[in-house]
Amino acid sequence: MDDYTIGVLTNVGLISFLALSAYLLLIAGEMSFGQQAFFGVGAYAGGILTAIYGWPLPLAALGAMALGALAQFLVGLPTLRLRGLYFAMATLAAAEMARILFELFHFQRLVDGEAVGPDGTQGFRGIRWVFEQGIEPLEYLGIVYALLVVALALFLLVERSRLGATLRGVGEDPELAAALGVDVNRVKLGVAAAAGALAALGGVLYAHHNTYVEPRNFDIMLGVHSLAYALIGGLGTAFGPLLGVLVDIGALEGSRIFHGYRMIVFGGLVALLLVWRPRGLLDERMVQWLKQRFS
Amino acid sequence: MIADLAQNTLDGLFLGSSYALLALGFTLIFGVLRRVNLSFGPAIMFGCYAATWAHLNFGAGLLLLALITLAGAVLAGAYVERLCFAPRRNGSPIAAMVASFALWMQFEELATIALPRHLYAFPPLYAGPPLEFGVLTLRVESLVMLLAAIVVCALLWGMLYRTRFGVAVRAVIDQPRAAQLAGISVPRVFVLTFALASAIGGLAGFLIASTHEQVTPMLGMWSTLKGLLAMMLGGLGSLPGAVLGGLALGLLEAHGQWFLGPQYRDLLAYLLLFVLLAARVPWMTTRSAS
Repeated sequence: MDDYTIGVLTNVGLISFLALSAYLLLIAGEMSFGQQAFFGVGAYAGGILTAIYGWPLPLAALGAMALGALAQFLVGLPTLRLRGLYFAMATLAAAEMARILFELFHFQRLVDGEAVGPDGTQGFRGIRWVFEQGIEPLEYLGIVYALLVVALALFLLVERSRLGATLRGVGEDPELAAALGVDVNRVKLGVAAAAGALAALGGVLYAHHNTYVEPRNFDIMLGVHSLAYALIGGLGTAFGPLLGVLVDIGALEGSRIFHGYRMIVFGGLVALLLVWRPRGLLDERMVQWLKQRFS
Repeated sequence: MIADLAQNTLDGLFLGSSYALLALGFTLIFGVLRRVNLSFGPAIMFGCYAATWAHLNFGAGLLLLALITLAGAVLAGAYVERLCFAPRRNGSPIAAMVASFALWMQFEELATIALPRHLYAFPPLYAGPPLEFGVLTLRVESLVMLLAAIVVCALLWGMLYRTRFGVAVRAVIDQPRAAQLAGISVPRVFVLTFALASAIGGLAGFLIASTHEQVTPMLGMWSTLKGLLAMMLGGLGSLPGAVLGGLALGLLEAHGQWFLGPQYRDLLAYLLLFVLLAARVPWMTTRSAS
């Protein structure tokens, strides 16, 4: 594989974590415009831990995930009772606040005589752990996809379990779920924490892939894109969001056929698709049909 | 100190009147369709780019530019309505909203293909010096903006409360099913409201572009975010609320900028929205529109 292909595939994997995070909230009935914030929290926290404090990446990733989970838990605490657009706007407000806080965040330390760390709008350079460990791009690609497979396996396990049914129940009819004895608020807070951790993991991997992040990376465009990926891929299975990312970044950016017109093609495609299939390509009915077909 | 406060308040009111116009357009669409049109700002940007293109290529004058901006915004709005909102009237609100976001990407790419530089000059409304009243300065463009907001509000009010079409619009906002049963053509109300909202957005876009004397592709996101913010602050779906929300946002930003600088200004606006939403203040949870 040439470097370009590896780069595109790595990006597909990285953004998939964010799309999965948006998907998790969507099946629990909440539309978030703010997952990019927790992606950003993961990127900054992971970068600081490896570049300034010299933690190894796996440990830094765990730390960043914990922080991402905590951040979304705290945002969810006052907002998860809001419905629909109100929740979407509250998460958007939180994410824009986070982006501005990244712009105001200066935390530089001398490492080997060089200033390293977040420098406000100048961004955060020198997240070089992967490079210093001599990990090749192809190996990093393998790491990203191995983690993605783990995440997917967890999703599939949960979807087959009682917990999965509870999640979808809460998403489809919270009043009914509550009447059946489900603690809706607790379930949603748990979902929020898990979604935050997932987004943060994507962020850590993203920061260490690019070696450089800046506040602008985590603007509203990224958040709505991840929502769109989950929605066009389909809400029936965790493979849906992956399909969404693959269609956009993989097929359209990777193929270079629509160079310069990618957004026009992708935009039109998404709009038509959503009119035709409002719950995405792999929606619940499609997943049911596929299961009957192949079991 | 007092002079600064007065100047900031004045600037805030002028800034707020542009937000109020954006929020009015947003609210009209939301009130009638119960859907958020994320492409509202990008459609305005499309109109402004069409005007800039005409200005660069044919040297079109101000009045013509205003008309082109309006026509461009309405045309782009019609495209969004046909593709995202017309096919499934009772479908999922999320799907319609994300579809409108998808068209946003189209507008943005179209704009950068037509005019690839990051920034283009837009002719100013008025080239002379600002007016001075003692210690206070007033830009003529700002006065025009305020005047436009007042006129649009008055016309909108007249339309809603003094015409048959206005009765139909209010009926659709309050009781869409009853309105349909009473013989009102709901799709027609949808289309006309969408066109009206886009025209108001186009007017706001023209005034904003000629006040800033520039257009960038960021105008789309900027208009959508400011319009959405002002609409939410004033209570979702209320027209007087949209005006108040716009003015409140303008005042908050003007004072915030003066005391704290531009980054904290935006932080403050989002913090206010977040806190108000989390606290579930009464006017943001009721859904009256008229």
